[in-house]
Amino acid sequence: MSTVTAEATTVQSPPSSAHRGLVRTVLRLHRWALWFWVLFLVVTGGALLWAYGPGAHAAWQEYRAADCARDGFLPACGTNGPGYQYFSTVVDSASALLYSVPLLTAAWAGSALIGRELENGTTALVWTQSVSPARWLAAKLAVPAALLVAGTAVLSLLHRTVWSADRELWHDMGGEWHSGSIYTANGTLLTAYVLLGLAVGVLAGLVVRNALPALAAAAIGFAVLLNVLDSLRTHLWPVKTLTGKDGYPDYIGMVVGDGALTSTGARIPDPVCVDDAACLARHDIVGYYRDYHPSSHFWPLQLVETGIVLALAAALTFAAFALLRRRTA
Amino acid sequence: MVEYRIDRRSGVATYLQIVQQTKQALRLGLLEPGDKLPTAREVVAATAINPNTVLKAYRELEREGLVEARRGLGTFVRKGLSTAPADSPLRAELETWADRARTAGLERDDVAALFTSVLDQHFPYDQNHSKGDQA
Amino acid sequence: MTDTAIEAAGLGRTFGRRRRARALHACTFRLPAGRVCAVVGPNGAGKSTLLALAAGLLRPTEGTVTVLGTTPAAARERVAYVAQGKPLHPQLTVADTLRMGRDLNPRRWDAATAGRVVADGDLDPDAKVRTLSGGQRTRVALALALGKRPELLLLDEPMADLDPLARHQLMGTLMADAAEHGTTIVMSSHVIAELEGSCDHLLLVGGGRVRLAGPVDDLLAAHTLVTGPAGDLAPHTVVESRTTGRQLTALVRPAGPLGEDWQAGDPTLEELVLAHLRSPDAPALTLTDERQEAAA
Repeated sequence: MSTVTAEATTVQSPPSSAHRGLVRTVLRLHRWALWFWVLFLVVTGGALLWAYGPGAHAAWQEYRAADCARDGFLPACGTNGPGYQYFSTVVDSASALLYSVPLLTAAWAGSALIGRELENGTTALVWTQSVSPARWLAAKLAVPAALLVAGTAVLSLLHRTVWSADRELWHDMGGEWHSGSIYTANGTLLTAYVLLGLAVGVLAGLVVRNALPALAAAAIGFAVLLNVLDSLRTHLWPVKTLTGKDGYPDYIGMVVGDGALTSTGARIPDPVCVDDAACLARHDIVGYYRDYHPSSHFWPLQLVETGIVLALAAALTFAAFALLRRRTA
Repeated sequence: MVEYRIDRRSGVATYLQIVQQTKQALRLGLLEPGDKLPTAREVVAATAINPNTVLKAYRELEREGLVEARRGLGTFVRKGLSTAPADSPLRAELETWADRARTAGLERDDVAALFTSVLDQHFPYDQNHSKGDQA
Repeated sequence: MTDTAIEAAGLGRTFGRRRRARALHACTFRLPAGRVCAVVGPNGAGKSTLLALAAGLLRPTEGTVTVLGTTPAAARERVAYVAQGKPLHPQLTVADTLRMGRDLNPRRWDAATAGRVVADGDLDPDAKVRTLSGGQRTRVALALALGKRPELLLLDEPMADLDPLARHQLMGTLMADAAEHGTTIVMSSHVIAELEGSCDHLLLVGGGRVRLAGPVDDLLAAHTLVTGPAGDLAPHTVVESRTTGRQLTALVRPAGPLGEDWQAGDPTLEELVLAHLRSPDAPALTLTDERQEAAA
C-alpha cells in the first residue's frame, strides 16, 4: 500500500490540466450542439438588435406619421404599416425562441448529452479513463450550464433593452410586462429555467438510459414542472387589491382574481347581476374587487420564482449525483 | 535472426518448441555465437503466445549454457551447437544413406518412421521436458 | 507496484429491483500481477459482471474486490477496460478519439503507443468511428486502452466479431504490451481455443460462481484424463465421467497414484474447461500461485 501512495504522489501534475481535458472532451463530443447554440445566439441576438435599431425606427416613423401619439393611445393605430408588421413579427419570434430554450435544453440534455451515452455504452469508455463518473457528470452539467447561462443572460438583457425602449410598440402588440414569454425573458427567470431544463434532462437521461425515451421523459417532465410553477406564479408575492362600488375597477397589471363584495366585506363569486338591483340586493352585493400585481411587483415576483426554480434545479442535480453514486464504484 | 513457428496442435509444450527451434537453428548454423535472439516482445507480437512462455524458454536455453541474458541488451548466443554443420562428414553420410533409401524404394514417410525409431532408440526422450516444471 | 492485480472476497452482484437476478455470487480468488488471465464460461455466466466490478463500473452488492491493492475507484487511473461491443463515440474521428484519451488521462497518456496500435491497422485518422468495421473499432478501443499505459487491462470478449487474422494480430499486440510493460491482462471469452497459449492463468466462471481458478499449468497438472474398464474411481475426485459399453472415460483430480488398469493422459486446456462446463456440479478448485518469479 505504501508503494502505491508513493507512486501516486510522484506523478502529480496540476489538476487544472485534468479539468481542461474533461472540458475539451465534453465540447468535442457535443460539437454540433455547440454550433447550434452559437447559431441560435447569432440569429436571436441579431433579430433583437435589428428590432432595437432599424426595426423600431421604421415602426416609430409610421407611428408618428399616422399621428398615433396625438390623443393618448389609440388601439391598433400603428398596425397597418409594413414597418410595424416587421417589428412585431421579429420581436414576437424572438420572444418565442427565447421561451423555447429551457424546453429544448431539457430535451437535448436527456437525449444527446446523457441518454445516448448510456444507450451506446460509451459511459463505460469514459468512466474507465482517469475520470470518475461523478466528475464526468459534473463536467456534463457545468460546461453546458456555463455556455447556456452566458448566452441566455445576454439574450435576456437584450430582450429587456428592446422592450424598455419601445414599450408603447409592444403594448400596441398586446405584449405586457406580465405576459408569459415577455415576463420570463425580461428578468432572471429565463436563465433559471434553462438551468432547470438542464437538470431535468440530465436526471431523465440517467434514469431512462435511452436517448429517445429520455428525450420524451425530459420534455414531458419539464413541461409539467413549467405548468405547475406557472400556476403558482401569482401567489409568490402579496397581491394588491382594487375595489369599485358600481362596477369592476380598472383591469391593470397582472390580474390574479376578482369577484363581488358583500356588505360584510366577504368575497363571493360574481353572480353576474349586471344592473338588476333585486339580484344585487338578494346577494347583498355592495361592490367589486380585483386582486393584481402592479408592475412594481416584477422584481419581487421574478426573484422569488427564480429562487424556487434554482432550488428545484439544485435538488434534481443532487438526485442525479446520488443515483450515479449508487450505481457505480 | 531466428523466427519461431508455434504449432498449437503438436502437443509439444510451447516453450519447448521455442527451445527446440533455437537448437535447430544453432545446429544448422543459422545462429552463431554473439547473435542476438529476438526479444520476448518481438516473439509474442508475431506469435501471440504468452510472454512468460518465451522467457521460460530463454531461461531453459540459458540453463543449458547456450545463451546468456545481458541486462538491458537482450539475449545472446553463447556457444554454437555446430556438431553437425551443413558440410560435416556426418551429414554427408546421412545424405548417402538417404540416397540409398530412395533407391531401395522407400517413401518419405517410411524414411521418417525409420529415422525416428532409430533416434528414439539412441536418444531417449527427456521426460522432464514434456511437462511444465512445477517447482 | 503490488503483486496482486485482482483480489475478490465473497464478491457478488445482484440486479433488479428485488435483487432476484443474481449475476455473481460468493466469488473468491486472487490474480497475481503480471499474468495473462482468461475468464471463461458460458454466456450469462457472470464474466462481464466480474470485469465491470473490477473496472469500478458496478458497485458490488456483496463482498469486496480489491484492484492493484486498492479500491476499483482509486485504481481507476491505472486500469484500462474495453467493454463488450467496444463502445466508442460514433461522431468522433479516430484522431479525436485518441485526443479524448489524452485529455482524459493527462498523467498517463502515451501517444506513441496509441498511435502505433492505430497505425498498425492502416486506419485513416480522419475516418469517423461510425464508418469503421468491427475489427477497426476493436483496434481503436485497444489503442485507447493501451495508450493509458495501464497496469491492469480488462477486456470483455475482445475477440468477438474479429476474423482470424485480426484475432491473431490483436493477441500479438496485447502480448507485446504485456512483454514490454508487464501489464496484467484479464480477458473474457467463451471460445477457449483462442486463449490457449496466450493465457497463463485461468478463471472459469459458471452459474455466477468461480469453478476453477489458478495458473493454467498447475490446473492442467492437477487433472488427469483416464480411460479404463467401467468401475469405481474413488478416492479420486471425478469431474466428469462417461461410460461407453464397458469402457469408462473420465476427467479426474487424482488423490494419489492411479491404478494399473487405468490409462492416463494429460488433458488440454479445452478438454479441462469443457469437462467442467458439462458438469456444473463438479466441485470448484482454486489453486494459488506460489511462484515468486517476477514476470519480466
